[in-house]
Amino acid sequence: MRIFQSWRYPSNWTIFRLDDRLLLILVAIIVGICSGVASVILNRALMAMFNWFHHLRHYWWVFVLPAIGAALSSLFLEKIVKEGAGHGVPEVIYSVSRYGGLLRFRSSFSRIISSALTIGSGGSAGPEAPVVISGAAIGSNIAKYFSLNDRQRVTLVGCGAAGAISSIFNAPIAGMVFAIEVIIGEWKSVNIVPIAIASVAGCEISRILQGNQIPFSHRLFHIHHMDILACVGLAVVTAAASILLTRLLRSMDKTAKKLPAPLWIRAAIGGCAVGLIGLFLPEVLGKGYHVVQTTIEGAFSKGLVIVGLATIAKIVATALTLGWGGSGGIFAPCLVIGCLAGLTYHHGLALLWPSVTWVNQGCFALLGMAGLISGMLQAPLTGIFLIVEITGGYEVILPLIIVSAITTSVCHYIEPAAYYMKELVDYGHLLRPGTDARVLSDLNVSEIIEKDCIAVTQNMLLRDFVNIIKKSHRNYFPVEDEETGHFLGIIHLDDIRQYLFNPVMYDTVFLGQIMNTRVEVVDPDDDLADVIRKMDANRLFSMPVVVNNRFIGLISKGNLLDQYRKELMVQTSQSI
Amino acid sequence: MKMTIHEVAQCLNLHVSTIERWIRQGRIPIQKTSNGYIFRESTLKKWAAMYRLPFLIPEKVKSRGYEEELENLLSAMKRGGVLYDIKGDDVETALKSAVGNMPVLSKTSKKELYQLLLERERLTSTGIGKGVAIPHPRDPLSDALKSPVISTCFLEKPIDFGAVDDRPVFVMFILLSQSIKMHLHLLSRFSFCVRDNSFVEFLKASPDEASFFAKIADFEKQLDRAET
Repeated sequence: MRIFQSWRYPSNWTIFRLDDRLLLILVAIIVGICSGVASVILNRALMAMFNWFHHLRHYWWVFVLPAIGAALSSLFLEKIVKEGAGHGVPEVIYSVSRYGGLLRFRSSFSRIISSALTIGSGGSAGPEAPVVISGAAIGSNIAKYFSLNDRQRVTLVGCGAAGAISSIFNAPIAGMVFAIEVIIGEWKSVNIVPIAIASVAGCEISRILQGNQIPFSHRLFHIHHMDILACVGLAVVTAAASILLTRLLRSMDKTAKKLPAPLWIRAAIGGCAVGLIGLFLPEVLGKGYHVVQTTIEGAFSKGLVIVGLATIAKIVATALTLGWGGSGGIFAPCLVIGCLAGLTYHHGLALLWPSVTWVNQGCFALLGMAGLISGMLQAPLTGIFLIVEITGGYEVILPLIIVSAITTSVCHYIEPAAYYMKELVDYGHLLRPGTDARVLSDLNVSEIIEKDCIAVTQNMLLRDFVNIIKKSHRNYFPVEDEETGHFLGIIHLDDIRQYLFNPVMYDTVFLGQIMNTRVEVVDPDDDLADVIRKMDANRLFSMPVVVNNRFIGLISKGNLLDQYRKELMVQTSQSI
Repeated sequence: MKMTIHEVAQCLNLHVSTIERWIRQGRIPIQKTSNGYIFRESTLKKWAAMYRLPFLIPEKVKSRGYEEELENLLSAMKRGGVLYDIKGDDVETALKSAVGNMPVLSKTSKKELYQLLLERERLTSTGIGKGVAIPHPRDPLSDALKSPVISTCFLEKPIDFGAVDDRPVFVMFILLSQSIKMHLHLLSRFSFCVRDNSFVEFLKASPDEASFFAKIADFEKQLDRAET
C-alpha cells in the first residue's frame, strides 16, 4: 500500500527533494522524450495517410478530399475534445504568461489527431504547431504530476515545445531557441538548461526511431559578394510574402466567421477550395516538403510565371485551410512559401541580369525560407538556426543573418505584432515576463487592500467624527448605513478640512451631509490594470473596495507602489 | 528556525495571499515535505537579501521603542509633589526657589533645569493666563528622566510673569518629560483642566495635597471618557 502511495505522489520521492534544479533537469529529459515520441507519431501518421491517398490523385473528385479531412478535424475538435480551431500556439503563450503554463491533458493528443486529418487529406498546413501544443501540454501535465510550482511548470512547457520542434525537424538548437524566444520570452539560465536538455532528448528519440537525416540536404553553395547584395532584395520579397500571408489569414478568418454555418461546414468549404487549387497546382497540397527538397537540390524546373503563381497559390491555400477552420501550423507552409518566393526572386534576377552568374537557385530558396520564418514569427534567431540545421548549410550563415534581420525589421515595421502574438496583443493578453502588464496581472486587489479604516455612520455628528479623526491613521473614512451596514459614501479629510476648525459646525453638521456619495468603487476581482486606469482617469489616490454593498477596505497608490516594487524585484532580479 | 506563513508575511510586510501566490509560482524558497512545506528563517533571509527585499522580524521592530507608554497627569504630579509658599519677587527668583525645592532631581540637573527654564521664558512667557504658568524646558534634560515629573508650586504672593492676559501668576506647574511626545500629551491633558474656571478658583485657595490630587483624578476620568 505504501509503495502504491509513493507512486501516486512522485513529488515525495527522496531523489526529487535533493535539489530543485536537478529535479527539473530529470523531468525535462522525460518531457523531451515524450514530446519527441509525439512528433514521431504525427510524422508517421502523415506518411501513412500520404501513402493511402496517393493513388487517388488521378480521380477528378479528389478535390473534396481536403474538405472531408478539414470537416472531420473540425468536428473532432469541436464536438469530441471541445477545443478551439487554429494552431493553438497563442493559447500556449497565454497560458504560460497568465496561468503558469496550465494546459489540459487532452491538448497533448487532440491537435495531433486533428492536424493529421487536415494535412494528411491535403490541407495546406504544417505539423509543427500541433506537436508544439502536444509537447507543451505533455510538459504541463508531467509538471502537474510531480506537483511542481508555476515557474518550473512554465520551464517544462518550454521543454515540451523545444523537444517537439527539435524532434520533428531534427534540429536541437532551433527547438531550444524557439521555446525560449517565442514560447517563454525570458532568457534565463534556469530556463535555458532544462530546455536544452529536453531539446537534446527529443532530437535523440527522433534519431533513434527515424534515423539521423537532415531534412533538406543540399550540395555546397559558392556565394559571391553579388549574392549577398541580392539578399537585401530577397528580404523585401519575403517580407512582402509574409505580410500578405498574415493579412490574408486574418481576413479569411473574419470572412469565415461571418458565414452563418457550423464550424465543420466552414472547414469543409475551405478544404474544398484548397482541393480545387490543388487540381491545377498539386504543389500546394499537404505540408509540401517534397517541393522544398526538389528546389533546394536545384531540380525544380518550372519557369518564372508558374513559380510566382505557385507562391501566391500556396499563400492562398494556407489562408484557406487555416483561416476557415482547418487544424495545423504555420511552420511548414512558411517554409514552402519562402522556398517558392526565393525561387521566384532567383528567376527574376536571372531574367533581369542574365550576364551575372548567380549562385544556385537552391541557395535563394533556402534564404527565402529563413526570411519567411523570421518574418512570420518575428523571431530572427529561430529562423536563422532552424534553416541552418534543417539544411545543414553553415556556409550560408552570412546572407541568412542578413535576410532574417531585414525581414524581421520590415515586418515589424508594418505589422508590429507577430502572427502568433497578434491575437494576444489585440486582447491585451501578451504578458511577457518582467513587463508592467505582467506584474500588474500577477498582483490582485485583495493583496494590496488596507483594512485599518474606521467606518462611520451617516447620522454621526461632526463633533464625534473629530474624536474619531484623532485616533485614525488615515485620511479616508467610509460611511455605512447604521442598520444595513451598506456602503453609502466616503469622507476624505481634504474635502472637509475647512469645517473641522469651526466648532460652531460641530453640533449642526451630520456626516451624511458632507460625505461624497459619487465614488468610484473597486471589486476584489477587478483587474488591477483597470483599477489603475480608473484611478488615473479620475485623478484618484485611493479607492474603496466594496463587495455586495459592503465596504471591505481601501486600496491606495502608495501601498500599490510598495507591493508593485517588491513584485517587480522578485520577478526580474537574477533568479534563484 | 521554522516559520509560519503568517510570520513570513509579517516579516516581509506583505499580504498572506501574496506569499501563497509566490509559493504557487515558485518565487519564494520553501522546503517540501511529505505533507506540506516548511519555511526556514535562514534561507528566507538569504533569499530576501539577494532580491533586496526588506525582511524584518516583528519582535525586533517593536523593541526599538517606537510605541512608548503614555503616562497620565496624576502619577507625574505625585512624583513631582506639591510645594507651598514658594518665595520670590520676579520670575527668576520664583523659579530658583521652586527648582531648589523640587524632589527627585540631583543638584547638577537642578542647575541645568534652572538655566533651561530661564532660556525658555526668554523666548515667550509660559504664563498661559488665569494666573497659571507652566514653566518647562524646550528640550528634554540631558540626564534623561525615566518618567515625567510635574511639580505644583503655589507661590507665596502673585508675581508678574508676562503672561498672555497680563494677570499675575499665583501657581506654577513645572513640567519635565523625557520626550517631546510625552510633553505634548501631558500639556494637552493639563490644558483641558485649566480651561475649567472652577478649577482655577479651586487652585486659588491653595488646596491641600489630597483634595488637589482627587480633583486631578476626577479630570482624568472625564478625559478618558471623552476619548473612548
